[in-house]
Amino acid sequence: MNELIPLMVIVPLMAALLISAFSKFNKATKVFAFVVALCLPVIPIASHYGLHYFGGYAPVMDNVTNVMYHPAITYSFTFLQQIFIAMLGLLTFLVVFIYLTKYKKVSGPYLFLLFLGTAAVTAMLLTDDIFHMFVFFEILALAQVGIVAASSIDYSYEMALKYMVLGSIGSPMMLLGIGFLLALTGSVNVTDIAAAVHNGLVDATSPVFLLSLGLIFFGWLYASGLPPFHTIKSGIYSKAEPHGAALLQSFTVVSMISIVLIMFRIYSSLPIFEVLVVFFSILAMILGVSLALTQTDFRRMIGFLAVGELGFIGLGIGLGTQYAITAGLFQALNEIIITALLFIGFGAIVNATDEVDTRKLGGLLAYHPKVSIMLLIAGLAMAGVPPLSGFQSKLMLVQASLNCGFPEISILAIMVSIATFVVFVKTYYTMFLKPKPNELELEKKEVPRTMIFAMGVLLIIVILLGVFPDIVTAGISNFVGGIL
Amino acid sequence: MAQTQLAILFTSAALVVIGLYSAIFIDNIIKKIIGISFIEEGANLFIVAIGYKPGGVVPILMPGMDTSWFATNAAYPLPFGLVLTSIVIGASTLAVMLALVMVLYRRYGTLSTSVMLADTSKQEEYDE
Repeated sequence: MNELIPLMVIVPLMAALLISAFSKFNKATKVFAFVVALCLPVIPIASHYGLHYFGGYAPVMDNVTNVMYHPAITYSFTFLQQIFIAMLGLLTFLVVFIYLTKYKKVSGPYLFLLFLGTAAVTAMLLTDDIFHMFVFFEILALAQVGIVAASSIDYSYEMALKYMVLGSIGSPMMLLGIGFLLALTGSVNVTDIAAAVHNGLVDATSPVFLLSLGLIFFGWLYASGLPPFHTIKSGIYSKAEPHGAALLQSFTVVSMISIVLIMFRIYSSLPIFEVLVVFFSILAMILGVSLALTQTDFRRMIGFLAVGELGFIGLGIGLGTQYAITAGLFQALNEIIITALLFIGFGAIVNATDEVDTRKLGGLLAYHPKVSIMLLIAGLAMAGVPPLSGFQSKLMLVQASLNCGFPEISILAIMVSIATFVVFVKTYYTMFLKPKPNELELEKKEVPRTMIFAMGVLLIIVILLGVFPDIVTAGISNFVGGIL
Repeated sequence: MAQTQLAILFTSAALVVIGLYSAIFIDNIIKKIIGISFIEEGANLFIVAIGYKPGGVVPILMPGMDTSWFATNAAYPLPFGLVLTSIVIGASTLAVMLALVMVLYRRYGTLSTSVMLADTSKQEEYDE
């Protein structure tokens, strides 16, 4: 049933176009968007693992060089893609569901951007073609900018333009890097490029090859929001609608792992690659959590915490062993769920209070107990408290760095986790436990039930993955074994 | 490497460097965006240069052409296909950026990035 593989991209893409074209039919648009969003997590679960060759062009043998090459774009669908695309689909469904119930008249362009972003990251994760990945990387940047600009939050246009200007420098850099790889290998297929590098057809120490690494790496830093792009990344989260921010962070995580896995396959023979990934990841962990400590806007605080968590993912991949990469990818899956849960939960608070400054909030536990408890569990999961999913992935990362002979990295990871815990508890106390300020009015506004539902679904997954991590780690480990 | 190809590579490098300079150091947002376009076009030109073949023919197999002669003399078509896609994406990005600039120009009445893209927290304090 490999025909379903391209449908994972085509369905959201077509839905985006149709919704945008027919958005004046409000009720029909709502029903259509709901049905399509519901299909998104189902398609990857129903699909079989395998490869899809666009145009039916399977790999062919070059008679002159006796090397196998891919003449067309190839999509590769394994357990890793299945679990991430299903989770992304579920999150898109929940976000679309929240959006549809929040507004009477829906915005076609906004739904277009949500579906477009989902299609773009799905394609980035599936593709085995580095230029195809670049095309969807650009489309994703446009979708992200659109989601931020479409929010009604002050200064969202400024933030969107800032992100776009930086992206417009990062993207051509990545394109140049791809150009260098094309010049060296004559191909843009990752499998072909990796085969050329590992078979010695390309000199891995040549300056051109190293330059291509530097340029693509720069693009990756931008896509991932790792330093020096951590401030702008947390900024766009804070300027998007909370449910939009939940989806935006999942786009960031999936694009991050898509690009880094491609880079890993091509550049893993270069020790400098792993050093660079670990260096920037550690920097992200430290800067993310340090800057989160100083924030009074809780959206910005989660944004910085999310950047810090990205560092954990990069750390696992940078360590380069099967166990470490599995831990990094498991952490990526957990981050998608936990950060989305936090964004939706804090979004519910914004909805109820119209306030984002933690100094002006207080006593919310008595008024919104369900949201408070679910947010507490999500925060504990992010900090790595057992038996939640964040604990399992962080424990794996600590073990992995010890196994690799880097106890100092393990200590650092534990310290950053503790700092994350402190940041969260401080914010939680200020918002939920300390006495309510007199000027804060809370009685009138209810938290939408769809938000509670979305949080409940995500919370179940957090607990499930915390208690039974093997559900995903075994499959991810097999995938990593394959690429190593 | 043919002289033409070398000249194209130098031009693309010059475009990227000039573009980076204006994108980073020039305050006017329109000039910044022109610089960004320079970087994009530099990258595109570089990829076109990869596909250049001295004395080569257009990579379209016409009826009656000898396939082995064609395989030896045709330029490499992949970079051209990639650049075509890249130009389309670049144009879309440019359009979105300019649309955002239009909105911000109406709000601030200036094209200076140091005013319109200053730290938003400072802007909020200024508004208060």
